[in-house]
Amino acid sequence: MKRLSNLSRVALRIPPSYIVFAVLLVTLWVMRPNLIDVAILGTFARQVVPLGIVVLGQLLVISSRSIDLSAGGVILLVNYLISSGLLYDWPVCLIILLCLGVGLSVGLANGLLVGKRRASAVIVTLALNIILIGLVEYLANGKPPGDVPKYFRELYNLRFWSLPAPVIFWIALAGLMSAFLGRSVFGRFVWSIGSNPISAHFSGVPVERTVVLAHTICGLMSAVAALVQTSSIAVGSVRFGPELVMNSIAATILGGVVFGRPALVWGPFVGVLCFALLFVVMTTMGVQEPRKLIAQGLIILLAAIFYGVRSKSNS
Amino acid sequence: MSQLSRMFLGANSRDGLWTVPLIVALACCAGLAFSTAEFASSQNILNLIAQAAPLILVSIGQMIVILVRGLDLSVGSVVSLTTGILSLNVPVYVSVPAVMLAAVAIGLLNGISVTTFRVHPIIATLSMMGIVQGVTMFVRPSAGGTVPPEILALVSGRLFGIYMPVIWVIVAILVAWKVVHGSRFGLHLFAIGGGETAGTFGIAEQRNVLAAYVLSSCFAAVAGIFLAGRIVSGDPNIGTQYAVDSITAVALGGTQLAGGIGSLHGTVIGCALLAIIANGMNLLNVSAFIQTIVKGLILLAVISLQPRKTIGL
Amino acid sequence: MTMQPLVQMTSVSKSFGGIAALENVDFQLLPGSVHALTGENGAGKSTLMKILAGVVQPDGGMIRKNGQIVCFASPREALDAGVSTVFQEHSLLPNLSIAENMFLGKEPVTKFGVTDRVRMEREVKQVLYGLGLKLDPATLVGNLSIAERQFVEIARGISARADVVILDEPTAALNAADVEVLNTQIQSLKKQQKAVVYISHRMEEIFKVCDTITVLKDGRNVDTVPVSSIRPKQLIGMMVGRELSELFPPRPDQTRGEVVLSIDGLRLTAEATPCSIVLRRGEIVALAGLEGQGQRELVRSLVGEYVPHGGKVAVRGREFAFPLSEERGIREMQALGLGFVPEDRKLEGLFLDLSLAHNLTIGLHSRHFELKPAAAHREVIANSMKSLSIKAARPSLPVNALSGGNQQKVLLGRYLALGADILIIEEPTRGVDVGAKAEIYKLLRDYANAGGSVVVLSRETLELIGLCDRLYVIHDKHVVAEMPAKSATEHAILEAALHG
Repeated sequence: MKRLSNLSRVALRIPPSYIVFAVLLVTLWVMRPNLIDVAILGTFARQVVPLGIVVLGQLLVISSRSIDLSAGGVILLVNYLISSGLLYDWPVCLIILLCLGVGLSVGLANGLLVGKRRASAVIVTLALNIILIGLVEYLANGKPPGDVPKYFRELYNLRFWSLPAPVIFWIALAGLMSAFLGRSVFGRFVWSIGSNPISAHFSGVPVERTVVLAHTICGLMSAVAALVQTSSIAVGSVRFGPELVMNSIAATILGGVVFGRPALVWGPFVGVLCFALLFVVMTTMGVQEPRKLIAQGLIILLAAIFYGVRSKSNS
Repeated sequence: MSQLSRMFLGANSRDGLWTVPLIVALACCAGLAFSTAEFASSQNILNLIAQAAPLILVSIGQMIVILVRGLDLSVGSVVSLTTGILSLNVPVYVSVPAVMLAAVAIGLLNGISVTTFRVHPIIATLSMMGIVQGVTMFVRPSAGGTVPPEILALVSGRLFGIYMPVIWVIVAILVAWKVVHGSRFGLHLFAIGGGETAGTFGIAEQRNVLAAYVLSSCFAAVAGIFLAGRIVSGDPNIGTQYAVDSITAVALGGTQLAGGIGSLHGTVIGCALLAIIANGMNLLNVSAFIQTIVKGLILLAVISLQPRKTIGL
Repeated sequence: MTMQPLVQMTSVSKSFGGIAALENVDFQLLPGSVHALTGENGAGKSTLMKILAGVVQPDGGMIRKNGQIVCFASPREALDAGVSTVFQEHSLLPNLSIAENMFLGKEPVTKFGVTDRVRMEREVKQVLYGLGLKLDPATLVGNLSIAERQFVEIARGISARADVVILDEPTAALNAADVEVLNTQIQSLKKQQKAVVYISHRMEEIFKVCDTITVLKDGRNVDTVPVSSIRPKQLIGMMVGRELSELFPPRPDQTRGEVVLSIDGLRLTAEATPCSIVLRRGEIVALAGLEGQGQRELVRSLVGEYVPHGGKVAVRGREFAFPLSEERGIREMQALGLGFVPEDRKLEGLFLDLSLAHNLTIGLHSRHFELKPAAAHREVIANSMKSLSIKAARPSLPVNALSGGNQQKVLLGRYLALGADILIIEEPTRGVDVGAKAEIYKLLRDYANAGGSVVVLSRETLELIGLCDRLYVIHDKHVVAEMPAKSATEHAILEAALHG
């Protein structure tokens, strides 16, 4: 009996994303075994790299009991800056630095308002998102987006041993984040706040500062994701749906990072892969765009309910 | 009760600070009346009211949920879904009940997630927003369709000499007043938002919160009906702005996101202020995109001024 | 002529987490009586009344109301049966008016379905006037002073037309004039043949207002006597008198070290008397006294968790004026070598789902800058586990897998690992079994012998007497007495508390 309850306790600790991933992989293998190939799966994985990088930041923030809904706006702005030709004669490095700076500043603004002013994270990041979108649309009205510089596109299409370069980049970044969280003092602070913000306070953890830093890093990740995303498209655009942010939250929660749990990188990582597989499976099954949106919403809700039910039984 | 609101409203009010936005709104009106000839014209005022009407409806529902410490991010997609359903070629006595039924179902799902399953209101309504938006894209993938003539008749023209949009606003305010300020239910909503001890008084917290979410979706659906009549079509993206706009209007009107403090008149004033600013910026030929930026900045400003102890969500 | 008791509680028992709060307690309320219920900390008086009020369900025993067996599953049911309670923790909703609070859940409506404000406010005004309160029933409770709020709570209890009214420390926030008004009302309830239960520590009030006293000790009946038949000193004797156990390590002879912590002129509230406390190196000092007298607020002022009205503190010579900042209080004190160990390890102290290692070392990590690599502190962990005898298979186990005693040791271990030489501990052995208690006492004594200094709060007065070198007795938010632990007894402490 004890062994069974120990087993179930271990089972409950596995992030749902691992299980979902396994199910989806098997489904795909059953339906279209010829798709199970590194190069092909690599291409599908490449599509979700921007999402994956945004998730790296989102998991930090959700783990600190906050949330970031401004990634879409950051991506739009970076997208525009690169494709509009505004910075036509700037050297590449400077462009990249500027974009990273944009992400950092947005993240810092979020962090200060949420951490120091204690404003609601949802509203702050939503408001910043709107401001960014408005800014891009205003700029685009004056100077419409044009072509993305070729070298971005070339980088995007690189492959090493049939794995696309962006995917390798993403795995490396995730590894870096995992190591950073696992080894740094900051990681310890984030875990503490996620587990119990009051205990964190009484242990001497600088709670406010940590939240500010979490949001800043999240903004930076959004900018990095934006760079990858920009390199995947030929022409800049001004349209953006709410899917990316929704998916980032879904993947994070699916990956086992909820408000009040320690930040883990690989759970959400696999969660993002789940979305890649989900797109493939749904496309193979002929599911159209609207149903994908429904599916994503359902996944978040069910995962959140599952956690809600879980924490109820634990208490 | 913040010092500021106590200063303006006295010790017996849990309305929140609505006098400041009222003053600002009046000042904007005065300023606009001086700087452009068209602002004070009856045509423009009517336009303004017609623009504000759907926002007022959605914001009323949002306020009800915010009073019980919740938030409803799905209202925008409910509005879009409503216009989508109404734009299908079905008779009005089928589509309108369908729309209200859908709204009740969505509200119930939101409410059950929040109360029974203890999902955070933001997560619950955010995911519902995605689901509803997906259904909307399914029903009406791009703007178009035909709206039943009965709906068109309801939102244009006059009744007893008064323009229809004005009647909608008046009726909405009367109904909302009864619900929020003139009934035991409304009082219980304030009680639930005011502290954890409401349950010990025998108030059925879960049931009331559930009702709040259902009301929010229903008001959003009514807003959608009005909009469908105005744009004479269904549009899957028409409702997106209302999610954040309604939160802005409610917060502007003095309702605290922490729950328990707020008022209907405050919310209406908040909506009016937003509508006046939008109208004014249009008349002054300010780019639509700058308007978006301004709205975002207003929201940030209002939020930063509401005191809170918790950090984060 | 024997009157049928309004309430008869027989053989009531209740345990919380294996620890018995009440054991076979009998309690009886006659109509027209003002019945005092008193006893030391942890005697069980609150628990007994919580059972009667429907807040808590008994494990055993029977309750009769007006001769009928009853079982209250909720406060609402108790209220409907005629038992109303005014607890110390205020349950009024701050954003509702007095009238709305008093009628909540039972509001009268006009024929339009609107809440009948006029009628509510009129009835409430009558009740308030009857209590001598000139409060506008439309005032929001959040705008009332603490004393006014307490009165409204009492008014709510009285106006609910109950025949049993339980008052839990009703005069804690009232001044002398208000107390008189309350007493008048209690007397009028008595005339109406209702019963009032008066839980209090204030001897003067008990002897002035009440006619019967029931004394509980350690969850059991001691006696129930008419007030006229005893004197305060005898009452105190009934409340105390336990044996000091062998749990405590020997106390060294006093060697006066230098002062490491001194609080000067601290006023906990605007009207409180200023207090001063001194802590010397190598000492274990207690803040003793009855519950809720200000001990917690006092120590929490040191780390910015409570905002007092003025005073200053010197830690190792560095002076700070109160109030201290909330965000930085704990960190600044930790930097000076002062560790604050909060009372509730589950809610405010530990990270239950994180590892033992994390819980032990998080204090150390908090010293460093975020971007630095976190040291594994393996040695510290190993040393801590050994010196504190923390029984766990390995340091990576989550802390909620440990026993209460081991959890408490982990919590203490965190601050010890910091190298703090001043420790402020709220409740060092709460929810800890006897064996672990002895280990923790020895730990603290060794710590003090090695040059550390400790301030201890505890509800268990015996623990303070056994463990500490010196005791301050806190009552009514200031220091009323100071005595060496060697010669202290529960009786002396209680007497100092009640007569200070």
